[in-house]
Amino acid sequence: MSEKLSLVTCTSCGKPIPPGSESTKFLCPNCGEIQIKRDGKCRKFGRLYKCPKCGFQGP
Amino acid sequence: MSEDQVKENQPTENLPEEEPVEEQIETVEAPVEETVEPAPEVPEAEVVDEEADEEVEVAETGPEETLLLPRDTLLSAGIHIGTRMKTLDMEPFIYRVRPDGLFVLDVKKTDDRIRTTAKFLSRYEPSKVAIAATRLYAHEPVKMFCKLTGATPLIGRFIPGQLSNPQYKNRVDPEVIVVCDPRADAQAVKEASTVGIPIVALCSTDNEFAGVDLVIPTNNKGRRALAVIFWLIARQVLRERGEIGPDKDPPVTIEDFEAKVTREEEEDT
Repeated sequence: MSEKLSLVTCTSCGKPIPPGSESTKFLCPNCGEIQIKRDGKCRKFGRLYKCPKCGFQGP
Repeated sequence: MSEDQVKENQPTENLPEEEPVEEQIETVEAPVEETVEPAPEVPEAEVVDEEADEEVEVAETGPEETLLLPRDTLLSAGIHIGTRMKTLDMEPFIYRVRPDGLFVLDVKKTDDRIRTTAKFLSRYEPSKVAIAATRLYAHEPVKMFCKLTGATPLIGRFIPGQLSNPQYKNRVDPEVIVVCDPRADAQAVKEASTVGIPIVALCSTDNEFAGVDLVIPTNNKGRRALAVIFWLIARQVLRERGEIGPDKDPPVTIEDFEAKVTREEEEDT
């Protein structure tokens, strides 16, 4: 009966992204294979993210 | 007691002798690290003007280096010219500081980011890409960019609610947005964050990364620089989509992208 909800995690900080936050997700600008997810705080503070596949570092 | 006192005092007397040795080591090491960073020894032209249309700065050139345009063209357009202000976010993209305090951007990194951005934008449907341009000098480049690539221009004042208000009749619903200056287009950045679409921004040395998902380090104030940057991105997007060949150029030139200066403005200058 009880099913666990799995929240997507932020690529920058690794924390689960709560629904309704100013988060975004997009394919890695460089390789286009990995989906980058960023939560509202990491976007706001301009925290870096890194593609686990190609190593592209943004923003 | 007096002998004990002497024994106890011995180590304490030795300590001050050891400390300077460590300090000396540190002071010796410090200059070695500093010598790695410094700017090139090649002389360059000194021009204070930010637009720097006539300026050609000679810089290090590697034999294996391949840029989208010849280095001289990029430098004469002034895409590397920053401002006298530097943010911590933009530090990795800064090449050096001029003696007059002007921060100069790394052209190679700008070139890499243009390629990356073009790849990124080409993955979206053309009409789902929006370009916001509040700056006057960015109007013409953005119009031409949108004409070439089929993107949606948001030129001039950004009407609040243009992205986020579902009741606004002229609302646009893009999947990605490009802004010419995150500070000038702050409203666009704010609303794009709210609706959760990725934001690509042209950032100079004085911009911050707040809300931005992909940065193109460039001069975002110069007339010629904006024309060159948008022309390059448009060309790369068309190449990535396969609409033109990998070595072909679009039918319009950089001069077509450049904002036209009126006679009154010419007289003022």
